[in-house]
Amino acid sequence: MDFRIDAATEQRLAGIRALGRAEIRPLGLEADRLGRPVPPDHPFFRKLVSLGLGRTRWSGDGDARASRGAAAREGSARAALCLAEELAYWDRGVAVSFPGPGLGEPPVLSMGTPEQKERFLGPFREPDRPRWGSFAMTEPGAGSDVAAIRTSARREGGAFVLDGEKSFAANASRADWIVVWATVDPSLGRGGHRAFVVERGTPGLGDFKIERKMGLKAYESTSFTLRACRVPAANLLGGEEHYARRAGFKGALQSFNATRPAIAAMAVGIGRAALDEALRVAREDGRLGDSRVRDRLERGRRRLRVARLLCWRAAWLADHQQPNMVEASLCKAVAPAVALEIASAGMEIAGEAAGRGDALAEKLFRDVKAMDIVEGTGQIQRIVMARHLVGLPRDPGAA
Amino acid sequence: MIDLGLSDELSLLRETARGFARDRLRDADRAAEAARAPAAAAREDYAAIGFTGLELPEGAGGADLGALARVLVLEELAAADPGAALALDPLGPALYPLVELGGEAALRELALPLLEAGGRAVLAVDLEGRVRTRGGRAEGSLPWLPADRVDLLVVLGREGACAIREGLEREELRGAGLRAAGASSVCFSGAPLCAAWRDPAAAARALARVRLYLAALLVGTMRASSDFARDYARQRVAFGRPIAHHQALAFLLVDLFAAVEGARVLVHEAAVRLDSGADAREACASAFLEAAEQSLFVTPNGVQVLGGHGFMQDYPVEKWMREARALALLGGGVDAAREDAGRELAGSEPPLALTLAEGAV
Repeated sequence: MDFRIDAATEQRLAGIRALGRAEIRPLGLEADRLGRPVPPDHPFFRKLVSLGLGRTRWSGDGDARASRGAAAREGSARAALCLAEELAYWDRGVAVSFPGPGLGEPPVLSMGTPEQKERFLGPFREPDRPRWGSFAMTEPGAGSDVAAIRTSARREGGAFVLDGEKSFAANASRADWIVVWATVDPSLGRGGHRAFVVERGTPGLGDFKIERKMGLKAYESTSFTLRACRVPAANLLGGEEHYARRAGFKGALQSFNATRPAIAAMAVGIGRAALDEALRVAREDGRLGDSRVRDRLERGRRRLRVARLLCWRAAWLADHQQPNMVEASLCKAVAPAVALEIASAGMEIAGEAAGRGDALAEKLFRDVKAMDIVEGTGQIQRIVMARHLVGLPRDPGAA
Repeated sequence: MIDLGLSDELSLLRETARGFARDRLRDADRAAEAARAPAAAAREDYAAIGFTGLELPEGAGGADLGALARVLVLEELAAADPGAALALDPLGPALYPLVELGGEAALRELALPLLEAGGRAVLAVDLEGRVRTRGGRAEGSLPWLPADRVDLLVVLGREGACAIREGLEREELRGAGLRAAGASSVCFSGAPLCAAWRDPAAAARALARVRLYLAALLVGTMRASSDFARDYARQRVAFGRPIAHHQALAFLLVDLFAAVEGARVLVHEAAVRLDSGADAREACASAFLEAAEQSLFVTPNGVQVLGGHGFMQDYPVEKWMREARALALLGGGVDAAREDAGRELAGSEPPLALTLAEGAV
């Protein structure tokens, strides 16, 4: 057993720390104050690209399986967790606004044909400017229950015609393309799901509405519609054969499983920011002698450490290609609640000053709530765990 | 790089402990409780396997395997019978003040002769000055020690520690839990000290190791309760399905599982920190606190899942609930651990950096 972070990751963390203090945190506070996302033409994004960020992890040769294997050997899931935690520490909203293929990348990597990878990820290898990819599964009537999506895909000659509404897709209005999940037959449930890469400017893709959120205002969560939106058959991820081979749901399920520990690590990052801020405020106000204040801080740190270690274990299993469904859901179920608790305690320690609406402690309290919702709510995580641990049937009523 | 795996040696050790606990302790738990001691055969096996000397230096005939090895074994034993786990370890957490404050001389003069004679050392953590020493003698009273024989009493305080062999007036108690280890109160007035050490830093290190020892026992105890409740809930049918498939219970069972997993990983991290020679005082205090808090969430709910059966002594869950509660009273208690961890945190400067090596979050 070893709980140390390797030197290479530590060096990257130091880079994030410097960028975080100088730019990420201030940008996040500004976006929160203005109540709108960092605009896509902000010089910060160009700077990130010039620093070598905003790129795909697709190397451009070999298949995804091989590159995933290589990444796993380098301990990438664990390193990725550390980086995600540190970015979220400075500002999780700004972190999500970073250019890059984003959540659209995993399905393209795992399902896409070599041609599709080249077409959609190629421009992210050496991006000439900030570019974004996006991912759209959630609909107004389908959140955690992804099998219930209603956006339809109908074959018409050499194209598919998409109709429906998508909600809360990060960076969708600024994206070069969006991986859109649709169904060819709602009665098939997940078996009817198909993933399409819908490119910017495709007729019928529109009505982009940047949602107003409680927190995490620095990135856009965007709803949009697809109205008789014709997408070339070549943009069906993996081609028809892929879906003939296996259920369409698999790709989405896999990407959820891979990202749960990362979302949990972000909750830890936000929680750490809240803890640091609470400690700073308590010290400034001379309240560290109060054991009630100290006890809250102590519990926050302890629970955050538990959450972090649970994240690390899930990632460690992933890096060793061992099943981590229970562990991934476990850390995702635990971390957001832990982080919310310390964020709330942080406001209490700040007292009425946290009620003004301009305190970092208060922003973190709002920001962190989303972490218990995205990538499967805490309740969904418990259902997943209960299926594994006590054989909870998929339809409890049918037991 | 972050590695949550166990070495082959430690995996094997854990398997050995698990097998021993299953074969020698689990089904004998009520007998051991009634007899106020584990069976002689369990004691012999325990020593034969080499659990006694797990942490002792090789020079003292031990295996010198360190804190991680000890917590792995303790969890397995406590998952069968926490009282027996305490009773079987003749030095128990009393080892730590002897090592940290008394060093090799204390091992040689106090610990090894006691092991030779088949005696038992008992630790009392006294952070409130209940035991007073003067002119080589001690007086005080200790309301509860989980032991029926006290061949060597080691008292650990904030400033130092002392050891007493004679002049102890012991009275047998019923005990709230951990009865397999026995239960006594001890009074002494003018008892001669066989050793006394003053070294606050070493005393703090010893206290950290004591807390980790107890944390591991708590993790084992709550794991037993959580696992038992889960298995029971899959079998027991109510309203036409296993009670585990009612979501109110399914979620509770998942949360019990999560509590155990979280406490364990904190215990392991603190043990690794100890074994690396780093300052582990705060980590051990936190691990003890977490294990205490979570075990007091898990073990009462273990009883709850079994309903009326849980309250009856035909099932072990009521015993684990009492024992978790009792264990968390030892080692100076949870409030002192909270105080220590809180003071350490109050003294640190934000940002609390990411690296654990630097002693942060």
